[in-house]
Amino acid sequence: MSSTVTIQDRQSKVTRWLLVPGIVWMSLFLVVPIAMIVYVSFWTQTTFNISSDPTLASWKQFFSSDTYTGSLWTTIRIWLIVLATTFIVGYPTALFVGLFVKSKTLSTVLLVVCVIPFWTSFLIRVLAWRPMLGKEGAINIVLLKLGIIQQPIEVLLFTELSVIIGMTQIYCVFMVGPIAFMLSRIDRNIIEAARDLGAGFGRIFWKIIFPLSLPGVVVGAIFVSVMVLGEFATSGALSGRKVNLLGNIIVTQVGSLKWAMASVVGVVLTIVMGVVIAGLLRIVDLKREL
Amino acid sequence: MDTSVFRLEGVTKRYGDLVALNDASLEVGANEYLSFLGPSGSGKTTLLRVIAGFEAPETGRIFFDGRDITNVQAHERGIGFVFQNFALFPHLTVMQNVAFGLTNGKTRVPTPEAEGRAAEMIELVGLSGMEGRGVDQISGGQRQRVALARTLAMKPRLVLLDEPLGALDANLRSRMRNELRAIRERLGVTFLHVTGSETEALAMGDRVVVLDRGTIIQTGTPGEIYDRPASPDVAHFLNRFNLFEGTLSNGSFSASFGTIRAPAATRADRDCYAVRYDRVKVLPLSAKPADGPALKATYIASEYLGSSIMSFFDAGQGHLIEMEHHLSLGAPETYEPRQDYLLTWNPEQAIVFGREAAI
Repeated sequence: MSSTVTIQDRQSKVTRWLLVPGIVWMSLFLVVPIAMIVYVSFWTQTTFNISSDPTLASWKQFFSSDTYTGSLWTTIRIWLIVLATTFIVGYPTALFVGLFVKSKTLSTVLLVVCVIPFWTSFLIRVLAWRPMLGKEGAINIVLLKLGIIQQPIEVLLFTELSVIIGMTQIYCVFMVGPIAFMLSRIDRNIIEAARDLGAGFGRIFWKIIFPLSLPGVVVGAIFVSVMVLGEFATSGALSGRKVNLLGNIIVTQVGSLKWAMASVVGVVLTIVMGVVIAGLLRIVDLKREL
Repeated sequence: MDTSVFRLEGVTKRYGDLVALNDASLEVGANEYLSFLGPSGSGKTTLLRVIAGFEAPETGRIFFDGRDITNVQAHERGIGFVFQNFALFPHLTVMQNVAFGLTNGKTRVPTPEAEGRAAEMIELVGLSGMEGRGVDQISGGQRQRVALARTLAMKPRLVLLDEPLGALDANLRSRMRNELRAIRERLGVTFLHVTGSETEALAMGDRVVVLDRGTIIQTGTPGEIYDRPASPDVAHFLNRFNLFEGTLSNGSFSASFGTIRAPAATRADRDCYAVRYDRVKVLPLSAKPADGPALKATYIASEYLGSSIMSFFDAGQGHLIEMEHHLSLGAPETYEPRQDYLLTWNPEQAIVFGREAAI
């Protein structure tokens, strides 16, 4: 009955084969590891050993310890602040690059300029903030020389503020990119039409430009959120160990071979990220907008 | 009494070295439909954008409703603009698009009143029942109507339309042509319509303004333009004339068809002889026309256009001569491809342009 094989049948067969590599890859390196982490989070941890006897001990420990829950709230607080600061710094930048710059070449050049810091390693970009923010760092020296301050500002480095400053600088470009992309796709005639109908700049921005750039804001927010929630290096390098994010806890626990606790924190972090992304995706229908 | 709504006086606009508009002067009456015809790059869109206030002219003045608006901002001019690609707000519904200017414009109309006025306009353009649709859920023709309704909702006294039918297919275009006229007549506003299509310009305009290289080269009713094109260029744009290059001297025109008396020549910057497609007659090669033009040409092919037939002849050196036969005048003759025929016409009906002409 080979003659009854229709084109649709053949196409769905091809589709299935095309899906195989993706499915295999995702199962091996995403689904299985996540399942493994969830499983390990219920293992029994002793000081020098770990066994697969199921227990809720690690979970109980996580939620009863102020250190762990405190770090959960710190993570959420820093994430929200960095999300806000990258948006506040990034949106006007994107507005300039994507909308106000008329030449396509110039806007591409400006975007590349935003990416230039990425030509050095991540850790160098983070550590470079130390000589900037330190007690005898560049900012304090300049402000002292100008006579604006008499005493060096000590709150700049090894505080939550320095972590926020560092993260904002590092992740801002992930906010700028998607927003600038959406803004550059707006038909200039639309803005001219709105102006011709008598709308001022504020109205045009809130009623036309901002809604049309919203998918870019959501994509940018997802990028920033995923990276900030999983952060440990910036907080490690710029907070002097005062700011402990969930990521830092995982690093410490893994370092001392506390696999069960590390897994608990990993699961909590994954759930937080899942909720955040699901929430952001509810704002706009990305499938329709992009 | 000055009945003009709108007046341009010596408007010039340059982009670097390029003169997009050269000393354009024009007067437009109330309740008039004016179409601007010209090839792309002729400055017709620039002219519209200068009138709308999107571009500022270097010299010249623009008057609207008796006041000088040359330095007035676009949205304060009270002139509506319908964009070529409609420029609808893609994230808003039909109703929100039409009401946008009312709720967000200079004078904020409260939403219920704005929606009432918008609904009137939506009804006027025949889109009732589609108020809640997104503009990506409607067809091209409907989008065109939304764009028009959005502009008309602001009650402008002058509406500028930039190739409004360019994005529509042929069928829809002829239907929208009638509707644009009907809507305009109901509202009594003046329309300025830019187009690259001579059929559209002649069909829609009460008056037609022909532009070439930034200069207004003729203004007149469609009849005037059609019967008495002011220059060889106008005759060329109308796409209704066979043009012959030649020389006009001592009241006679010499070209590939011989030398013919041309007493009533029109003054132009070059010598040119124009014969309308439907004035050309085809004779067998053996015939000897008593006097007048006789041009040997090879028949190529015909095109059936419904009410008429266009026949194409090659007069040598790639010069294509077109002949239109209206079927109401009788059944068409059939010609043999690659056979030579003699083309002739009544010289009285030809239009002659020349440098030595008196007028």
